[in-house]
Amino acid sequence: MTQQEITVEPMSRIEGHLGIQAVADTEKKTYVEAHSFGTMFRGWEVILKNREPADAIWITQRTCGVCPTPHGIAAAMAVDMAYQAPPPEMGILLRNFLLGAEQLYDAALGCFILEGPDYSQSVVERSNPKWWEAAQNEKAPHSDIHGYSTIADIMTGLNPISGGLWVRSLGVEKLARKMAALIGAKHPHVNTLVPGGVALTLTPTVLEQYAAMLSQQVAFAKEFIPLFDDLLDFVLSMGYDDAGLRKTNLLSYGAYDDPSAYTAKYEDLSDWGLKRRVSPGIVIKGEMITQDLVEINVGVREFVDRSYYDDWAGSYINEDPMGNPIDEKHPWNKETLPAPGAYKAWDSKYSWGSSPRWVDWKKRVDGFPHTLEAGPVARMWVTAKAKNVPESTGSSLKYILPKATIVGYRVADEMEFEWKIPEKINTVERVRARAHYYAFSAYVVYGQLLQALDLFKHGKARVWNKYSKPSKGFGVGLIEAMRGALAHWVVMRNKRIANYQIMTPSTWNAGPRISDIDLGPYEDAIIGTPLTESDEITGVDVVRTIRSFDPCLACCIQVYKGDEKILHIPEV
Amino acid sequence: MSEIEKIHVIWLPGQACTGCTVSLLNASHPSVLDLLTGFIPQAAGVTLDYHSTIMLQWGDEALEAVNAAEKGDLEPFVLVLEGAIPDESIAEKSGGYWCVIGEDEKGNPITFNERLDRLAKNAAAIVCAGTCASFGGIPHGKPNPTGAKGAIDYFGRNWKSKLGIPIVNVPGCPSHGEHLAEVLAYAVLAVRGYLPLPELDEEHRPKFIFGHTAHENCPRAGLFADGKNSHEFGEPYCMGLLGCKGPISHCDVPKRGFIEGVGGCPSIGSPCIGCTEPDFPDTPLSPFLAKAPWPFFVYEKIHSIPGSLEAVWGRIKETLTGREI
Repeated sequence: MTQQEITVEPMSRIEGHLGIQAVADTEKKTYVEAHSFGTMFRGWEVILKNREPADAIWITQRTCGVCPTPHGIAAAMAVDMAYQAPPPEMGILLRNFLLGAEQLYDAALGCFILEGPDYSQSVVERSNPKWWEAAQNEKAPHSDIHGYSTIADIMTGLNPISGGLWVRSLGVEKLARKMAALIGAKHPHVNTLVPGGVALTLTPTVLEQYAAMLSQQVAFAKEFIPLFDDLLDFVLSMGYDDAGLRKTNLLSYGAYDDPSAYTAKYEDLSDWGLKRRVSPGIVIKGEMITQDLVEINVGVREFVDRSYYDDWAGSYINEDPMGNPIDEKHPWNKETLPAPGAYKAWDSKYSWGSSPRWVDWKKRVDGFPHTLEAGPVARMWVTAKAKNVPESTGSSLKYILPKATIVGYRVADEMEFEWKIPEKINTVERVRARAHYYAFSAYVVYGQLLQALDLFKHGKARVWNKYSKPSKGFGVGLIEAMRGALAHWVVMRNKRIANYQIMTPSTWNAGPRISDIDLGPYEDAIIGTPLTESDEITGVDVVRTIRSFDPCLACCIQVYKGDEKILHIPEV
Repeated sequence: MSEIEKIHVIWLPGQACTGCTVSLLNASHPSVLDLLTGFIPQAAGVTLDYHSTIMLQWGDEALEAVNAAEKGDLEPFVLVLEGAIPDESIAEKSGGYWCVIGEDEKGNPITFNERLDRLAKNAAAIVCAGTCASFGGIPHGKPNPTGAKGAIDYFGRNWKSKLGIPIVNVPGCPSHGEHLAEVLAYAVLAVRGYLPLPELDEEHRPKFIFGHTAHENCPRAGLFADGKNSHEFGEPYCMGLLGCKGPISHCDVPKRGFIEGVGGCPSIGSPCIGCTEPDFPDTPLSPFLAKAPWPFFVYEKIHSIPGSLEAVWGRIKETLTGREI
């Protein structure tokens, strides 16, 4: 028998409950089949229904305690739009600082705590003894910067609890969450986001403390990124190119709004999207086909063919304010009708996750629905290609992190960073993009902090604008969470939530197949991944590939619509 | 010294968001590493045998400790619950499940609830991390589609572990990292007989942490007493008129901050949303920007009259009588 089936349930070192079934061909040394299945459900949407729209800012963060802040910001943007409540410039910057703090923590968490241990001595020595042997003799090219002499030293540093890198990163991550608590009152689940801005008494102390803590992140970036480059280049050199390989179909909504561009008006969405410091865009087969957030929003669809939900009919919105058609499979019109079903029923429904697709409705390529991958690699790719920001060269992102003299850190001088668009989107490059995004986030937030000081100097320290809430409206909030493109959609009727939908990056990535030729990204990425284990098959190549996406399952499976049917509600 | 050398911890996620796990990593004094390495000899020997978010192993191998604990082969262990407990009988009606953790030898799924039932029988103590495990939290928000509840409702308020310890709740959404770390250390010391069981309030919260309201613990309470209210977000006064639920929420975060003294909801200008309370996220805690019910303020004002009079009269009396200190 040359085929061996394994099931990884629970998938550990991720957020939430995920199972993976995979089949390895032990002769051809490759994985030939995979199913990704979410195994927990709570039902966020029925809970949100009929509540105050602003309450979504608090409630939706609690879908996920690992990446709450982007949920809070996406909800705040959706509700800003529904309430017609644009924040003042300082309010927009403070939201960006919250996002930045979280992305710093979350990128480091992903690299060191969740994914890093897969390349630690504890795992490599057992699963890939040849790698371990080579690593001991392989000098780390940037050892003068990060201080780890060989690749094996880095791998030992990544051992959970005993490893120096693992322990040190916990401190850096805590410091980044402390930055979030400084502006957000707490983290996880920041408390200061409100429609029209932030609820924070802003004093110079807040900005100074934030700056001091950011300096430490800047100092850490200068060791972290060269260290991960060394480790990941080594892993690639062991023949890991095809692990997790997928075609270059990517989605980014962009992040870090320009405070002078964000108006919370749908009509301006395309404009403020292009002015973001991290760019929006859709890439199909390696070509950027659009950067227009309106076009991107209109093309989103959600399917439940292989998910524990019944299909829905009916709609809230037929067209957006610009007259673009809103499909009944678009999240603004989605009804989530859960139908708990049998475990691992591969031929029918097998996951609590759903299957998002993006329809090329302007027929820029083929007019078909596409499976897109979300994540740091997607947004770095789009931002590097687009040349919307000065750091984008068309093939890379190039920028300089400022000086930062911090006790215990090795590099005080400024340092240049360059992330180059990789030839292949694979397991290694997903992790590398996450590491580099840490440095880019620190860079973006540093620049915006200087902007905030300037606003403060000019007396523009208002954090919130008063609003008068209309009785009906709708909104969309599009942003990049750590794990990729995150969207919230709200429909408001009689001042309450009539419909609320969340589509997370893990909804895109972890979803089940729609048909046997239209797989979810996790499934697609596992198939073709080499089997590097020689004796016992523990599934290390599978878990490395899945973790390269940094799954967040609690986020991904949150929606529920109860038995109550919604009668026809008039269009906006 | 206690004879119990090792104390195992099984951290089991149900309908959870992992926020309490992340929050535990926020703790500094003691920190999670202090807990695992033993910051005082009496608290040493704690091993985290199962925590799916941070453990090295995966799949069946990850579950070895859980399976052992279910069979009584991992003694003694503290069971930490994160997330609410669903009602699987609802999902069973259509042949499905709400929450599964692993498979049995035949490949059949094992629900979180099945594991919980087996583990509870053998646990030395159950500690609920966060509002979901304590009271149901957001999953149990109206209309509670999955029948979610907290452990004191699932097992009953009179439930006691085989060592006679009641369920200990450490609510908060998420729970404060140091609340959790302190309570876990306390549980270890109590299991070993170094400390008495912590005194709990009627909602099973340790009184030494949850004994006062957020309002009582708020640095802005003095401004409230002075009649200074914020009317717009950003102002530095009492947040009560902008929706603060501090007077009806048991929490020390305004005073303590959230991470190493930084943060704290009303203290930096955002209303308390009552995330430590059994009714969270329903009324009277939501809508979050709506004012807390006025009777609490009337009660508080009336209640404060004797103390306010005493504060004034005490000083007048001292001046009149010329009493020396």
